[in-house]
Amino acid sequence: MPRIGNSLLRKAHALDPFLPALLAPCRDIHAAQNELRWLRQHVDRVAKARRARGDTLAKGSLLRQLVSERASGKPLQYILGTEYFGDLEIRCRSGVLIPRQDTAASVTNLVRLLRDAQKLPPELRLLDLCTGTGCVPLLFRHELYTARDDVDLHILGVDVSPKALKLAHYNMQRAHRSMPRGKMRLIRADVVLNPFADQDGDALPLKVALNHSGLPPFWDILVSNPPYISPSNYWTTTTRSVRGYEPKLALVPPSIASQSDTEQGDLFYPRLLEIARDVEAKIVLLEVADLDQAQRVAQRAHNLSIFDGIEIWRERPDINTQAPAGVDNVSIIGEGNARSVLCWRGAGAAWLGKATASAGRDDALRLFRSYGHLPHGDASQAGTSPMEPQFDWPTTPPSEQDLPMAFHNARIARRSRDRFRERLSRRGTGLWTDHPYPEDYYFIRTSFGLQKRRRKP
Amino acid sequence: MISAPWVCCNCLSRTGKTLFRRSLRYQSTATSGNVPKALLTRARDIAIEHKVLSEKLANGFDTRAAKKLGEYSPIVNALGKWDKASESVTELTSLIHDSTTDSELRSLAADDLEETRAQLAAASQSLITSLVPVHPFAHLPCLLEIRPGAGGSEAAIFAGDLFRMYLAFCNGNGFRTGILKYENINGTSEAGVPLSEAIIEVESDDAYGVFRCEAGVHRVQRVPATETKGRTHTSAASVHVLPSLQDNSSVQEDFDNPESDYYIDQKEVKVEVMRASGAGGQHVNKTESAVRLTHTPTNTVVAMQDSRSQHKNKEAAWALLRSRIAQSRREKREEEMANMRRSVIGVAKMGRGDKVRTYNWGQQRVTDHRSGITVHGLDDVMEGGQTLSKVMDSVRGWLMERDVEALIAEEAEKK
Repeated sequence: MPRIGNSLLRKAHALDPFLPALLAPCRDIHAAQNELRWLRQHVDRVAKARRARGDTLAKGSLLRQLVSERASGKPLQYILGTEYFGDLEIRCRSGVLIPRQDTAASVTNLVRLLRDAQKLPPELRLLDLCTGTGCVPLLFRHELYTARDDVDLHILGVDVSPKALKLAHYNMQRAHRSMPRGKMRLIRADVVLNPFADQDGDALPLKVALNHSGLPPFWDILVSNPPYISPSNYWTTTTRSVRGYEPKLALVPPSIASQSDTEQGDLFYPRLLEIARDVEAKIVLLEVADLDQAQRVAQRAHNLSIFDGIEIWRERPDINTQAPAGVDNVSIIGEGNARSVLCWRGAGAAWLGKATASAGRDDALRLFRSYGHLPHGDASQAGTSPMEPQFDWPTTPPSEQDLPMAFHNARIARRSRDRFRERLSRRGTGLWTDHPYPEDYYFIRTSFGLQKRRRKP
Repeated sequence: MISAPWVCCNCLSRTGKTLFRRSLRYQSTATSGNVPKALLTRARDIAIEHKVLSEKLANGFDTRAAKKLGEYSPIVNALGKWDKASESVTELTSLIHDSTTDSELRSLAADDLEETRAQLAAASQSLITSLVPVHPFAHLPCLLEIRPGAGGSEAAIFAGDLFRMYLAFCNGNGFRTGILKYENINGTSEAGVPLSEAIIEVESDDAYGVFRCEAGVHRVQRVPATETKGRTHTSAASVHVLPSLQDNSSVQEDFDNPESDYYIDQKEVKVEVMRASGAGGQHVNKTESAVRLTHTPTNTVVAMQDSRSQHKNKEAAWALLRSRIAQSRREKREEEMANMRRSVIGVAKMGRGDKVRTYNWGQQRVTDHRSGITVHGLDDVMEGGQTLSKVMDSVRGWLMERDVEALIAEEAEKK
């Protein structure tokens, strides 16, 4: 990083003695002036609050302390305690990733498409994996409710970090106070954990956690901003302030032996797409690092062959500069770096206002096939793999009797949805966490299954 | 021997000239049945554009396109009628000139031709009328300002006469009026004393279109009441006509209304937000929240960076941009109004020379010098009766002819 010139430092000092210190993280005199102004406002606010309590505060020393903290690279959002995410003010604490403006742009654009939808289900379910501060579902909720009020939005935030869950819970309560509508809930689960492997950590796999909390297994929209930086990129492309102060857990996927650098960076995406299939999400929005990763994720989604369409959104997806569809009909929309991948299937196409939609039967069949229950493509090619179950599959679409498994699944889904609705109606409106912080509980494996225990204070 | 009496050659030439001149009128030209070619091509262009616009509107609604379409449709209708009439005229003439048609059919065609010609004339007249652009302020109420010009107290008395004439005209024709100002030469508002300034507000809609032709210097030729020796004086009074633009604030405040000063088309604004160069996303954590808006048609730039929230900065920037654009629009409109006020009547044009109309008491006539019309019911004119309406109509017709000429000249310039 180039040194800051002496003339710039002198100029900054002439404007304000605190400015030269702030030039180190900001690099630019206008940005530094803005940050200093915000810090001053923060100090004034703190002083006012203290005075209301009958306390006194030395403003100068507090400001000096905050400026020196900022000069050492601590993110301004951690110092001030909040960050603006779209229209919302989200509380930030160290140990939880600070929301990024690019994420807000993607979420806002998704809601912009959804709010013009002719027909949304009366109960829209949003699953946010790796929720962090809870900013993504909260912005989604805020934007959707300011645009239309005929939808009852149910939100579930999932994270592995207790710190993040605590903060998300705080943010959700704040948001619920200002707009008491819809339902919000948080659970602790590990997204990448294989549900069939032995459980040794204290976080459960997502599927088990959903079951255990009595939550529905099917969700309409899946959004996620998972860790996506590969270890080598972590050391080369991230800024010092990010490396020094933001949690590595939220940035770099965990390392698994015999795995390349890129594979580790992409670790979450295969799991997220599988979860999207398992919860039968109609719309999936995943944040990515760059165009290469976006194309890898799009390719994976395409290989899953359950989606009707896949799009790559850049940092400003609201600008309608659509590049010609590249490989596999994936169009790239907007300006700037590639930021997220959007996939949709079935009814999701109509919600997003996309033309390509497949019939309900085709969609169910495709979903069913992707589990490996049915051979892909031609019946004659299906026989080539000895491991595949052998079916005498007719070329015409199957009748209802031929799909016992799918209809069994659907019945279970209906039943569990009804149970879920009943639970909701019994609870009434409002936050439906019955305990203050989810991490106050832990699970132990006993001879008769999993047991929920309250942690001793 | 009878010899021809001596005649002055000047007189001889003058008799010839007067005879010749009386039959000609330079100022106004009667409209004939055919439409000038330039206007016809313009109408055809408009018809093509109308077609394109209606196709565009069928696909999606656009406020501007719809407004334009509404403006064009009378022209297109008139053109259609004209086409029909001219076609039938050519058909009939060809039928008459054709040697193979029998005599009975020919006589029938000849009978029909006259009627069709009349239809064609009407159609071309309506086509020309529809092509002439309506004055942008014609739909507005107006202000009539009357001031005495050259001629001392006689001019002031005549200004009072004009004031009463216009009031009577408005009453007789159903225009609502309000007197904004009435001041006599003594500085009071007492009636009966020579007038020094009067402003009438005609509150009805379309008043500006009706009274626009009245602006100018009105000349009077009579033996004034103040004259003791019975000499005829010539004096003048000036009439200003201005559209009265009311600020209806409800329209102004509405951002989505294209009529409002505050309206900005979203497509015309370039939004720039400060983005991290390089990776972005989780890789960097920036605090920049500056937003810059550029209104491309006027090149107005607004940058906002006060708040930490990009969203709030954007809102503030939009508000600022709206008010700036509205301000510039208002200034432009006010300048236009000032130009118009100057062009209606300049200070130098206040004399007796550049008159628009003459009221002659001795001959009991009123002559308008623009349309060239002369009427003899002076008393009826001064009472704001039918004769005044006739004069005003003829002036409006003359104004329209000037507009048509300007239109033709404009078309010719384009080629």
